[in-house]
Amino acid sequence: MNRGMNNVWTIVISSAVVYGVLAIAMGVVPGIVLSRTPPTPGMLPLTPQQDRGRAIYVSEGCEYCHTQNVRPLKQDLVFGRPSVAGDYAYSTPELLGDHRNGPDLTNIGNRQPSDTWQYIHLWNPRSVVNASIMPRYTWFFAVKPKADAGDIVVPVPPRFAPAGGVVVATEEAKDLVAYLQSLKQVPLGKGAAKP
Amino acid sequence: MSPQSALTRDSAEPEDIALFSAFVISATFWLLLTTAVGLLLSFKFPYPDLATNPLLSFGRLRAIHTNGTFYGWASIALTGSALYVAARTSGIPIVGKRIAWLSLIAYNVAAVLGTVTLDLGLNFGDQEYREWIWPVKVIFLAAVFLSGLTVVRTVAQRIESEVYISNWYTIGGFVFTLILSTVAILPWYQYGLGQVAVQGFFMHNAVGMWFTFLALGVTYYALPKLLNRPIYSYALGVLGFWTNLVFYPVIGAHHFEFSPLPWWFQTLAIVFSVGMLVPVWAGTANFALTIRGHGESVRRSYALPFIVVGLLYYFLGSTQGTVEAFRSLQTIWHFTNFTIGHSHATMYGFITFIAWGAIYAMLPRATGKEPSRVATGLHFWFATIGVTAYVFVLSIGGTLQGLDWAAGNPFIASVEATAPYWVARAVSGSMMFLAHVIFAYNVYLMTLAPSRASTKWERKAVNV
Repeated sequence: MNRGMNNVWTIVISSAVVYGVLAIAMGVVPGIVLSRTPPTPGMLPLTPQQDRGRAIYVSEGCEYCHTQNVRPLKQDLVFGRPSVAGDYAYSTPELLGDHRNGPDLTNIGNRQPSDTWQYIHLWNPRSVVNASIMPRYTWFFAVKPKADAGDIVVPVPPRFAPAGGVVVATEEAKDLVAYLQSLKQVPLGKGAAKP
Repeated sequence: MSPQSALTRDSAEPEDIALFSAFVISATFWLLLTTAVGLLLSFKFPYPDLATNPLLSFGRLRAIHTNGTFYGWASIALTGSALYVAARTSGIPIVGKRIAWLSLIAYNVAAVLGTVTLDLGLNFGDQEYREWIWPVKVIFLAAVFLSGLTVVRTVAQRIESEVYISNWYTIGGFVFTLILSTVAILPWYQYGLGQVAVQGFFMHNAVGMWFTFLALGVTYYALPKLLNRPIYSYALGVLGFWTNLVFYPVIGAHHFEFSPLPWWFQTLAIVFSVGMLVPVWAGTANFALTIRGHGESVRRSYALPFIVVGLLYYFLGSTQGTVEAFRSLQTIWHFTNFTIGHSHATMYGFITFIAWGAIYAMLPRATGKEPSRVATGLHFWFATIGVTAYVFVLSIGGTLQGLDWAAGNPFIASVEATAPYWVARAVSGSMMFLAHVIFAYNVYLMTLAPSRASTKWERKAVNV
């Protein structure tokens, strides 16, 4: 039997112990401690509809192009105030994001409060922003010959409208827009937590 | 005499050869599928109305590209190589072949189910590299466990007295990944900002404690084998092992600089990112000193150039990662396409090139069937020029994107500034994909194809 570092089990066990300790220190403990961060005062949990919209946001991978993380940097202030720890208390799975091919959405409910704009933009982003590279989310809409009572009809500009019908928002579109509208930063009061 | 012209076959058992071949073939399938997806994604930047269908939408396919290249292509290719290296360096056949076959099945089942579920919009959040839902991750975890167990059992029964340095690295990779994946899967302690901390830890460790360890492990076998000389320093290899193990787990938070994660936690990650220069430079120096004075062998070999490019990107990509972690540069580069360039420098330039080099080094020696030299040359140049252009254009495009934001221009200006670089990325991505098709042809020649009499003239041509 080989001894010391020439025994394969010594390598297995020693690397498992060292990495296990590091994984607990750098992954598990920060996870447990920061999961207990209380919400920013004034923040409300999502309503069931907003929550369904959030699930669609996650499912469609919106985070791959849109961050929800306003950094304490000059170039980020256009999106809102710098994000603080408590802003993420109701945010699981987390949606901070790594990429900004599109703008940050932390505060989009305040920055773009129009439901109608959101519907038109989801139907075809290029109908409102010419150079946009965002995909169309046409599968959140139904095209009908005529709107029924209670339908939300999307006033799509003629160039982008389907021939012979109206564009109507489905429940998914309503849920998603309800979630986007919920993205409003609460102002930080005096003595609020610093980032 | 060229080393390849007198290719000496390994005295491997037929079932070991079949096992290694099967790993390479299924890895190649995932490479083709998931880089075809990547190519489609790259064309969606200049043509956002291309393939407007939920099943082909950007948000769903992106995770299929990243997870598929990670857990389909690179994991299967490097695990197969690690199994074969374990047997070669131990002087015995693979121990527990049924378990090894089972691990290959589990890898593929996980990759199929992961791809299908992501396409249906089922995910564990949009958290990079851990988007697969937990049942799929558990199957992947089982594959890592079963293949790791096979490597350990094989090395434990070796006839050599020392555990060769390759096996330190590959066994480490399996052990770390089992722990890491378990930490990532368990949901009960990660909410909100806590999950951000776990994500930073996970996403970087998935790369650096799995792929880096497996790739360096097979390099420690393939490079001396191809050069027919021992590795420069065993001690440098051991130094690299321990420093990588201790420094890497601490650097994850550098993915969330300027976020509400505790400031000191981010600073710690930056400091250790500098520490990462120790294993990276020690490892690179060790390999470079092994190659030194043998440029002629590199020129004559079809496998060595892949390993040389892989090591060059290991050095450049990892050093870039350290520099990128500095706060001053993060203010510009964070959130931009610069990071996509970085991830391709490392996961492609480093990991994928090493996997190719290892396969070209070991598979012909196992099966006795050589790839086409012309095809290998084309594969090498398309992939090398492709990825270098890819990294270059996204580094420029990403920098412009970040400078545009810093200048306070309207957001859409950054999109317009980056647009030409996205076109260039799609072109270089096409070259890379072409290289993969050629590689697949070579894999066929090295495995399923009947032995070729035609290799004779090719051998003649290189016999100087």
